Amino acid sequence: MNLLYNVPAFSILLPMLAGVICLVLPARASRRLSNTVIVVLALLSFLLLNSFLDGAPTFTYRMGHYGAPIGNEIRAGELESAMAMMFLVVMMLSLMGGRNHLRSDIGRSKVNLYYISVLFLLSSMLALTYTNDLFTAYVFVEINTVTACGIIISKEDGYTLAASMRYLIMSLLGSGLFLIGICLVYGLTGHLLMPNIQEAVNQLVQNGHYQAPLQVTIALFAVGLALKSALWPFHSWLPDAHSSASAASSAILSGLVLKSFIFLMIKIFFRTVGPDVMTGHAILNLLLVFGVLGMLLGSVNALFEKDIKRMLAFSSVSQIGYIFCGIGLGTIAGVSAALVQVVVHAVTKAMLFIAAGGLMDASGGRKDFDALQGAGKRDIVAGAAFVVGTMSMIGLPFFAGFITKLTLVTAAAGTHDWRTYVSLAAIVVSTILTAIYYIRVLSLLFGRNGSEEQDGEVRGRRFLSAYLRRHLSMDTEYILAILAFIGINLWIGLRSDDLVDIINAGLATFQ
Amino acid sequence: MQEAPFVLLMLTDSLTLAFRADVLGLAFLTLALLMWTAVGIYALRYKDHQENNGRFFAFYLLTLVMLVGLSLAANYVTMYLFFEMMTLCSVPLVLHNGSAEASSAAKKYLFYSIFGATLGLLGLFFIHAYSISSDFLPGGVLDAAKIAGNEEMLRTIAFLAVMGFGAKAGLFPLHAWLPAAHPVAPSPASAVLSGVITKAGVFCIIRVIYFQFGAAFLRDTWVQRSWIAVALLTILMGSLMAFREKRLKTRLAYSTVSQVSYILLGLFFLNEAAFAGALLHVLYHSILKDGLFLSAGNILYQTHLENVEELKGLGRQMPRTLGCFAIFSLGLTGIPPFAGFLSKWELAAGALSSGLLPYAWLAPAVLLISAMLTAGYLFPIVIHGFFPGRAYRSEGPDTGEAPVAMVGVVGALAAATVVLGLFGAPILKFFLDLAGTIFL
Repeated sequence: MNLLYNVPAFSILLPMLAGVICLVLPARASRRLSNTVIVVLALLSFLLLNSFLDGAPTFTYRMGHYGAPIGNEIRAGELESAMAMMFLVVMMLSLMGGRNHLRSDIGRSKVNLYYISVLFLLSSMLALTYTNDLFTAYVFVEINTVTACGIIISKEDGYTLAASMRYLIMSLLGSGLFLIGICLVYGLTGHLLMPNIQEAVNQLVQNGHYQAPLQVTIALFAVGLALKSALWPFHSWLPDAHSSASAASSAILSGLVLKSFIFLMIKIFFRTVGPDVMTGHAILNLLLVFGVLGMLLGSVNALFEKDIKRMLAFSSVSQIGYIFCGIGLGTIAGVSAALVQVVVHAVTKAMLFIAAGGLMDASGGRKDFDALQGAGKRDIVAGAAFVVGTMSMIGLPFFAGFITKLTLVTAAAGTHDWRTYVSLAAIVVSTILTAIYYIRVLSLLFGRNGSEEQDGEVRGRRFLSAYLRRHLSMDTEYILAILAFIGINLWIGLRSDDLVDIINAGLATFQ
Repeated sequence: MQEAPFVLLMLTDSLTLAFRADVLGLAFLTLALLMWTAVGIYALRYKDHQENNGRFFAFYLLTLVMLVGLSLAANYVTMYLFFEMMTLCSVPLVLHNGSAEASSAAKKYLFYSIFGATLGLLGLFFIHAYSISSDFLPGGVLDAAKIAGNEEMLRTIAFLAVMGFGAKAGLFPLHAWLPAAHPVAPSPASAVLSGVITKAGVFCIIRVIYFQFGAAFLRDTWVQRSWIAVALLTILMGSLMAFREKRLKTRLAYSTVSQVSYILLGLFFLNEAAFAGALLHVLYHSILKDGLFLSAGNILYQTHLENVEELKGLGRQMPRTLGCFAIFSLGLTGIPPFAGFLSKWELAAGALSSGLLPYAWLAPAVLLISAMLTAGYLFPIVIHGFFPGRAYRSEGPDTGEAPVAMVGVVGALAAATVVLGLFGAPILKFFLDLAGTIFL
């Protein structure tokens, strides 16, 4: 266990170091370095998670030589290490799946710069997962913002430029609000370490001092991070950013970046402000209402899209709404359901974006629905991934999406007031809307081939082997990534108890 | 005591995918298999009329597989899974001929069904949270201690879940997919859609009401009254719409909307006689409606005529088909000794004995009015077919009777109508005994 104490710090520093080294490496070497770093960290996080599951207590780790109350601290427990593992695995698979697009979208000479951004992004996400003080949180929030822009704009065309400008502006607004919140908290409590702040806040509430500034602080934290996690109505940057970026970048942005901020928000509610103050707080009701509106309006917007990546982006807005609906319920069961959806959405949406990349490849690089007719038959692995993704989004048992519906509805049923009815109505309506736009795309993908009927189309077994012969050598990583995503989705759907137990155990020791 | 279910796999430690063959499930399974076989034999000859048969038969069989899973499901989540899969497998049947109308009808079917299934899913989650066991147990599985204080919420959920599964059974207001889907689907597909797949919705409703929430929990509540009101509304509305409709298959589709609500009405009265009448009507309606749709298929195959008015004088050309159609019409209207009379009688008896005013007398009145409307929308077809009037001159070529296999199946169903109508009493007794085991 002693050596494992270093894993969180290692997880944050190693990618940064590797990123700096990538500056001087050519494309292939930087890709290999990045993959190695991610695999090594994934293994270490797995060992760390195992040690917690075997009963090791959570620990805090002091960075540098300054102790509380002025130093930087990170803290690790089941939940943090499970989230870290999720980030690492999904990032690995996204990079594998989108590799070919990196070559074509970015240009060989600049691929190493892309990997620098990715590694720093990874480091910032892991830091946000493990951090135990607000100062570290702010620093890595900013690194996250900049590097996320980096991975969007690495594909140089007008769309990404406009999208990342918009993202940057709105995201920096969010960071700014977050920073003001930190300044206010520091002014009110004199601390930056989360447990210390919680003690001070509890005292303030008991004494009845500074109630208005405290409420403003909580609101600032919530809104600032909500802006960065694309909660409705702060989501307007998301469709452009996620749809214009390269396939791997879209997968990472939709699947991981949003989640790191959500996790930070949960951490702040639990550890900085504390459950005593947060339970029954009005901001949670606001998050619930916005979450519900996001669930409905995200889906409504997705219905009208004619471009597959924009449709997936709006679908993300809707699914993020589920997460905030869970948080807004204000119970442990609600937060647990939100975290389940964090994992499930990361896995499913990353898979869908990678598959969308494959479908675009099979349709001459175009992403509008007219060009994608029959693409599911041309790239059968992507088609299969889309089928699995659709079933998961609709929430059929066997697939991961069913588990999030199960946990969210059970959590909603536990609050016996208006929140139950609003959440349930929203879940029902958004499910049907989600089914509509996903199944519409599916029937498009597996429909007729449009005007280009292939002569002598090989059928049956010969079709599969012809496909494999054509693609296996070039796109091995892509095929493996998609199969791995499908496998994870089914694993969560079939053996969800493992995931849910880890999350619940982690939440129990989260403060 | 029931035997233990066969657990295929565990989704979570309390939700499992499990199967059990109890009497109700086996009865439904037998009906599905028999109808599928009969219509399958018909389809083997009908397929000469259509293209892409490989695809058609593939989904035809897949839907049957899902129905098997549905009837043998031992708990709510298994039933829900197979219900959704059955919807997904039957959509290509509606979509089969690829026209724009088929495409929009298939979408309508899909979305109404998924919406309904999602409402049913809510039922699953609440039962899961408030029950003692996730299995189907006669009398319900609600844990009295857990539900204390939450009865109204659970009643609302029960209401929504049944309305959701009712979408598949054509219950107002989610019935609109039926008249859209039937005319565009190939005739064998329409037959099984009306004859068996709507009954899958009925089956799920039986499981939800009697084996999960329990009849006692819902008896004499606003939920029961609302259900009965909606069923009566659907019966009347379906019959009236059928009466006005000119396209034959759409008319039969509205007839299904009306007739399946007879079954639901019987289920909603929550007593043994009505329940037995409902189950008997499941059997009778499957045979009658399959027969009607297959006769329509014969007509379509031979003459390509779709509208009722064009069928004048058809009796000269297709006497056997139209004769069977006459038998099915008599049965559907509820005229003894054909199949259809005994089930309606039992339904009315169950309604009258339920003591639930004003539905106790309103329901038999509605059943009577609906029977007259049924006669009104079915008999003229037969009468004008055989007796077109002296002024009628036949236009169009005389293409003769439909092929032997197809007429044979329709004839077999007509024979079944007569036989099961004459010997309906033992079947009714079987269902009454079954009801006795369910109403504890």
